[in-house]
Amino acid sequence: MIQQKFKCPHCGEIASFYGNPGERMAVSCPACRSKGRITIPMAAKENHYAIEVSHLKKIYGDLIAVNDISFAVKTGEIFAFLGPNGAGKTTTVEMIEAIRTPTAGTIKLLGFDTKNGFNQVKERISILPQEFHSFERFTVRETLTYFSHLYKKRANIDEIIDMMDLRSHEKKLYRTLSGGLKQRLGVALSLVNDPEIVFLDEPTTGLDPKARREVWEVIANLRKRGKTVFLTTHYMEEAEHLADHIAIIHKGKIIAEGSLQELIERYGEKTTLFIKSCQSPDALQLLEEQGFEVHSQGNGDLTVKIDYKEKVLEVLAQLRHDCIEYDGVDIRRSNLEEVFLRLTGARLTEEAEP
Amino acid sequence: MNLKIVFIDFLYNVRSWTRSRGTVFWSLLFPIMLILLFGAIFSGMGETTYTLYVQDLDQSENSTAFVGILNGTGVLTIEHVTTSDPISDYIREENIKNLLVIPKGYQSNITRSYIDPSVQVNLTYYFDPTEQQTNQILRTVISNVLSGVNMQISQGRPVIGVQEESTVTENFGFIDFFIPGMIGFTIMQQSIYGSIERNTKFRKDGILRKLLTTPITRSEWILAKMLFMLFLAFISTSVAIGVGILAFGIKVNITILTIVIVIATSFLFSGIGMIIGRFVKEEETADMAAGAISFPMMFLAGTFFAVDAMPAVIQVIAHALPLFYVNEGLRNAMIYMNQSEAVLNTGIVLVFAVIFFIAGVLLTKWKED
Ligand SMILES: Nc1ncnc2c1ncn2[C@@H]1O[C@H](COP(=O)(O)OP(=O)(O)O)[C@@H](O)[C@H]1O
Ligand SMILES: [Mg+2]
Repeated sequence: MIQQKFKCPHCGEIASFYGNPGERMAVSCPACRSKGRITIPMAAKENHYAIEVSHLKKIYGDLIAVNDISFAVKTGEIFAFLGPNGAGKTTTVEMIEAIRTPTAGTIKLLGFDTKNGFNQVKERISILPQEFHSFERFTVRETLTYFSHLYKKRANIDEIIDMMDLRSHEKKLYRTLSGGLKQRLGVALSLVNDPEIVFLDEPTTGLDPKARREVWEVIANLRKRGKTVFLTTHYMEEAEHLADHIAIIHKGKIIAEGSLQELIERYGEKTTLFIKSCQSPDALQLLEEQGFEVHSQGNGDLTVKIDYKEKVLEVLAQLRHDCIEYDGVDIRRSNLEEVFLRLTGARLTEEAEP
Repeated sequence: MNLKIVFIDFLYNVRSWTRSRGTVFWSLLFPIMLILLFGAIFSGMGETTYTLYVQDLDQSENSTAFVGILNGTGVLTIEHVTTSDPISDYIREENIKNLLVIPKGYQSNITRSYIDPSVQVNLTYYFDPTEQQTNQILRTVISNVLSGVNMQISQGRPVIGVQEESTVTENFGFIDFFIPGMIGFTIMQQSIYGSIERNTKFRKDGILRKLLTTPITRSEWILAKMLFMLFLAFISTSVAIGVGILAFGIKVNITILTIVIVIATSFLFSGIGMIIGRFVKEEETADMAAGAISFPMMFLAGTFFAVDAMPAVIQVIAHALPLFYVNEGLRNAMIYMNQSEAVLNTGIVLVFAVIFFIAGVLLTKWKED
């Protein structure tokens, strides 16, 4: 008999089941009672999950900032915690980092319960707090060496400087750096102890698009080095661009979770074919008669829902058959913004993007 | 306790400190300017004539002749003192800086010395040790005149001697009063504001949160910062003393008690800064709170003006303020050489330091709510 943990696909609960290697069994989730089947693997995998969070809750007065959430982060993946301002991202990540004390729930980091065992994992994790601002009058290099001295395990500073493309800035004082460079250094700082898990709390908030892309590059680099990355963001492009796994958090609850592909398939709108300036007033009716789901956007612009990719060709063939002229076409895939809108009726980012 | 981390943190702090024009200004240049400015305003600089008070108790031919010779040097202005009060009271009440007493029996002793070579007579020279320059000159004049007179009456055998008495009264100059006050004030400011920066700015900037997830402990971090604060305190103390000596010729005694007070003051006000930092989260508000505590304290605790010259109510308040004991302690230890008072002041400062520092450390919290 071996023990193996499974994550409930419905509520995210991590539950342990016992069985013989290879055995298939019907189980029900101890939290939400939903039923499913599991297969006990041939050998129990150790530390398959770098982070395991179960029934985590944080209450501030009347406000439930984090409302009974459970999720697990696989070793080596970039896990994005996506949600609007005030959703509970920082509260959650700082509970995992043992900076705030949960009202309820358990957290395991690398197999250690953070309640009593956080000191055992300090050397193996690293964090970049939200709006982090380091010592004004340390140079880039000194900032890196200072923080590396705090650990027993130290990565090679020169390697980090090269990898993060900071060589030409290493002698500059922190206070003179641009916002983008500060954040790049912040990510670099989280490597000084060669950690297994890196936590980044909104690492690109407030940066211009170019600086943001540069920070994305260094984050993508972390995955290449085998780090598990826990990233919070309210930029859906960031999650789309970087994450292997996305959890969408809204008002303290995880409302959807999965890979980008899974989320769009499950919650997104269908892909649409956008036809610009259709010359014929009959086009809408003609396409509808052929069984397509068509909507007029005014000015002769039409959109057609596409559920499989060959459908694009069918629509275009039909237009050609009817000798209908148009200015051009565009294919619009559904994105996380739409997923979020669909799930909550609210937009992810209230304010305009810089 | 990882002392290597403590030491590295200290070194990085010193290096980063030397890069900040602002802090170098506030901790070095500002005290220098203030000392020079106040010193120039309140102590009569550039005195050129020297007044020597003389009390002639003998009123004989010889003693009058002696005073005449002193007067004849042209360096001094002689003021004759006739008083029935004890001379030490007179010196204190009249704020006399230099006084020479010719004892009764001056003439008769000189006469006896012709027969009995062992007979001597001693003048007494009372002087204010803070008036170094003046003392030096008067002392030289007196001893020159004396060797002249001794030469005349006995071929140089020292029949007439002089015995010196330092007039340790309230006669110290303003600058002697001010420099210890300036030291206390500077250490207070550095410690409160430094401590507030570490507890509010570093919290806002996420540095404390970051540190919380690294292996450094709070004790190591606080110890490192206290080392740095002591470094600053000793720099400021040296600068203030240096300016006092170079510009005003004050006489300073660096005793163990002086050093203990400097250290305790640093801990005391760092503790107060930590307490403020715990209850006031915004850096600007915390700075205002620090100002609200330290500025009235500066005026009330006798940094610039002696507390006993103030109204009774203020004197009562002053005696409740830790800075008062810092100032008094430094003055008694460094300048007045009043050992027993200094010990008492140091003891009180130490008690304040222990209470506030421990409270500060206990209240310092890196965790968030
Ligand atoms: N220390 C606190 N005291 C009271 N309320 C808090 C505290 N920290 C966060 N909150 C509240 O909890 C909610 C979640 O905040 P936060 O985790 O910072 O969101 P996010 O990081 O997603 O923007 C917000 O409504 C916020 O106002
Ligand atoms: Mg946040």
